[in-house]
Amino acid sequence: MEELNMWLDYPIYATVAILCWLVASGLFLSSGKKLMNQLAAGLSFAGTAFLLVFITILWLHIQRPPMRTLGETRLWYAIFLSGIGLISYLRWKYKWLVSYSLGLAMVFLIINLQHPETYDKTLMPALQSPWFIPHVIVYIFAYAMLGASSLVALRNLFFAPTEKIIKGPIQMADNLVYIGFSFLTFGLLFGALWAKEAWGHYWTWDPKETWAFITWMFYLVYIHYRFRHPSEHKKAMTILAVSFAILMICWFGVNYLPSAQNSVHVYSE
Amino acid sequence: MSNENRRKIWSHPWSYREGTIAAVAILLLGFALQLSTNGMILRMAGFPWNLLSGLVFLGILIPAYYLLKHTPVIKGLGSVKAALPAILGFTFLVLLMGFVKQDVEPKSALFRTLGLTHLVKTWPFILINLYLMILLGIITMKRLTPFNLKNAGFFLNHFGLFLVLFSTALGSSDMQRLRMNCYEDQTEWRAVDTSGKTIELPIAIKLLNFNIAEFRPKVTIINNQTGQVVLNKGKNQFEMLDRNSLDLYGYHLEVEQFLESSGKVGEAYFQVNEPGSAPSAKVKVTKDGVEISGWVCSGSFVNQPEALKLNDTHSLVMLPAEPRKFSSELNIQTKSGKNITTIIEVNRPYKIDGWTIYQLSYNTEMGRWSNLSVLELVRDPWLPVVYLGIFLMMAGAGFLFITGKPKNGGTEHVA
Ligand code: HEM
Repeated sequence: MEELNMWLDYPIYATVAILCWLVASGLFLSSGKKLMNQLAAGLSFAGTAFLLVFITILWLHIQRPPMRTLGETRLWYAIFLSGIGLISYLRWKYKWLVSYSLGLAMVFLIINLQHPETYDKTLMPALQSPWFIPHVIVYIFAYAMLGASSLVALRNLFFAPTEKIIKGPIQMADNLVYIGFSFLTFGLLFGALWAKEAWGHYWTWDPKETWAFITWMFYLVYIHYRFRHPSEHKKAMTILAVSFAILMICWFGVNYLPSAQNSVHVYSE
Repeated sequence: MSNENRRKIWSHPWSYREGTIAAVAILLLGFALQLSTNGMILRMAGFPWNLLSGLVFLGILIPAYYLLKHTPVIKGLGSVKAALPAILGFTFLVLLMGFVKQDVEPKSALFRTLGLTHLVKTWPFILINLYLMILLGIITMKRLTPFNLKNAGFFLNHFGLFLVLFSTALGSSDMQRLRMNCYEDQTEWRAVDTSGKTIELPIAIKLLNFNIAEFRPKVTIINNQTGQVVLNKGKNQFEMLDRNSLDLYGYHLEVEQFLESSGKVGEAYFQVNEPGSAPSAKVKVTKDGVEISGWVCSGSFVNQPEALKLNDTHSLVMLPAEPRKFSSELNIQTKSGKNITTIIEVNRPYKIDGWTIYQLSYNTEMGRWSNLSVLELVRDPWLPVVYLGIFLMMAGAGFLFITGKPKNGGTEHVA
């Protein structure tokens, strides 16, 4: 029997997820009714669940964890981002945050729709390790958390003019950063332990490692700044926004930097 | 603010002015030293000098802290006002490394003298590391005495990082990374270090068998004129021959026969198993009702690859198979009298007498017929300390995750 090329089905799943999330965001933003909010939460969950189904089938089909190409990591990012948006809504009832995260998750799905990449089934031996899945999952989760914190930062910078309004949301940014940063640390350290097993050294200042480290340092700056200057909200938010720009370089930009030829970590294709 | 400006510089409490001056001065001093030594590549002294200098460092830092902890300088060094500029100064160097390709020949004389292509072995990098260690040491002691359980997370993060920096800095010279070329059925005890020097080891290794398992090869379409892979919406498309029918750029492929290891006899391929035999496939390709059938073969170091011409513009080609796994069966004998036979592969090194033996590479030209296995032998006596630091930091990260941000910025339980 002819096997389906899984990514041919991607547009269907992506469209359904995007529709769910569009309606959910609309409901979250427009309505104050409890029932409507519950419906919106249900819909945003449905969108995420659809993608989870897709990625599970994809995983089974390609016989390796779908965590290697940029397209695959974008998919995880969309899943985590929407999931975190929903969880933080359930936990703190920030409706704008869930809508923002859904919006960003949709952007990632749309990028994937426009760049149907070829999906390679081969996995080089160095990546065939029990460390591979935890390392990547932890990183993507960290990125999603830190991405969400940056949304909070941007909103605070541009739409919350008074210090009074900023106070609540900034605590949310802190929560997200602390969780995201602890995962980032785990990702970095898992990476080091794995590199020792696979390549003989835990840290070689490979471009991807270097940029991951730079990202980590910027969030470290945020944490220390917030610790010592708890009421300098605008400056803290600016640091957070800059940190996110660095994170983006680490994730996408490294492939294009002159320093990064021959990096073992650069995502293929 | 105005209060801060009127305060005399270097007196307590420090502002970012002092912290920044200190960090910038250290960087400038580093680059000046680098220039004055004409771009010398630095190396830490080996055992026992590294251990000794580590002990001297601690022997100065610890008493100095307790004797001088009430002075503005130690108070200042233990504050965020010194920490942030230091972290940023370090980040600045790492950013340089992020933009300038490392470990290559420098592009210009200036790059060479400033050491921009091997920053981790330069004065500015080493000095800022030392400075960070001093800061981390001071704040660890500051929060450790008097002891307060609330500072556990803080201790794990900062002391963990201290240990990692300390042990990697001192241990760098004791670490040996050697490369050994092992040919099948030959015993080898010489290896080459990173500078190209041959070193005789207390370990002799005989390669009993080198083995590669491959993925099924991939096929793609190339342009007959240019020889380039045809692009589909700006992307190359490769399909793996792990199924009997597939589609590529509107061509429909039926795989009639697939041979894992084959040789050509006349016009057709047959299953053979001798050095240089390569995968091949008989395929039937249809497009717009036109049908073409024939063999494609990825070729090897003895055999030519074979493409299938589909029409005037396109041909079907098979790419060399990629390795799924490669492993070496080794017999290892040590001076200490051990005699062991084991199999190593990528991600599965073997540890013996303080050495870790890694599967590194093979003769890629010969692919699965390689009779050479390249091993890497690593000795890193400081590794347990590095790992201790890493585990402390992991525990610290766990603390950050569970406790989250301290309330009110968290400065309450800080002296
Ligand atoms: C790079 C070197 C570092 C320096 C120089 C440094 C310095 C400092 C300083 C001076 C403080 C304020 C402490 C006080 O006033 O008593 C502080 C607080 C803090 N640092 Fe660091 N730090 C560094 C690395 C780290 C790392 C790697 C982490 C986490 C993984 C971290 C997490 C924190 C946290 C969470 C606080 C708040 C204190 C608390 O929660 O009790 N720092 N750091």
